[in-house]
Amino acid sequence: MSTPATYFEDVAAGDVEVTPALTLTEAHAALYRGLAGENADEPGLIPELLPLGLITGLGWRLSRPPLAVLAFMSVEWKMERPLRVGDTIHCRMRVAIKRSLREGGVVIQDQEVIDQDGEVAQRGRFTFLVAKRAAEPARAGAGRSIQGGHTT
Amino acid sequence: MAGVRRCFEEIEVGEEYESPGRTVTETDIVLFAGLSGDYNVLHTDAEFMKTSIFGERIAHGLLGLAVQSGLFSRATQAYATVAFVGLRWKFKAPIKIGDTVRLRARVSAKQDDGKPDRGLVTVQRSLVNQRGEVVQEGETDLLVEKRGQP
Repeated sequence: MSTPATYFEDVAAGDVEVTPALTLTEAHAALYRGLAGENADEPGLIPELLPLGLITGLGWRLSRPPLAVLAFMSVEWKMERPLRVGDTIHCRMRVAIKRSLREGGVVIQDQEVIDQDGEVAQRGRFTFLVAKRAAEPARAGAGRSIQGGHTT
Repeated sequence: MAGVRRCFEEIEVGEEYESPGRTVTETDIVLFAGLSGDYNVLHTDAEFMKTSIFGERIAHGLLGLAVQSGLFSRATQAYATVAFVGLRWKFKAPIKIGDTVRLRARVSAKQDDGKPDRGLVTVQRSLVNQRGEVVQEGETDLLVEKRGQP
């Protein structure tokens, strides 16, 4: 038995997915600042790096199983407008590039963090190393593959 | 120094900073999973991870990114930052429970677009573990206030 996952073969360039939405609260901001060790710059402002984490969690709530991520390789990101407590965000993800490697493959996703007015607040690219279905070993003594992941 | 924030004009290309260390704990990972909703087995299933190449649970890459952000504020006097506007970042190696990371940062560029009130400061950052290995690195773009007009 293996954990359900979306493998490299299941992904196609151009695939678009839209996550459920999440209302940003003071609790999100306060928990994040406590964890990061950041000071509050201005009351009501959402720390700029927090939405990156939140959208990975939103990605777990899509109807398809989570992407079989072996490693989160890189992120390029632009914060285009500030987000505030009370804003409701969702994420639009599009597979931009898919490149097969010997073990697994690289999947580059374009991501847009969109607020309740439909405005893009943040956007960028996540690069993942994703497991191939064929390479999936049995769980016992697998040694390599990580299933059921979305991001490291 | 408390409360005094450094303006665009005061920050010089080539300035370097090093933060104190911070030990990343199981608690950090559990809290980040709860906050983000990212419950990947990489971060949450100790038994499964014994069979992985990592041998144990590892921190979320984005937790490392959050930790470096806090370490930056402890590495140098605060900038008069208006906004954090851009990031180019690589996750190079895992952060494991009990690893102690510190941030090395260097101002790599300043860009003045002629706006009267703000300029762009780019900081090159490396998050380094207790063995001196770079676990994450990249660049951040910060919009920083210019000195107030008298």
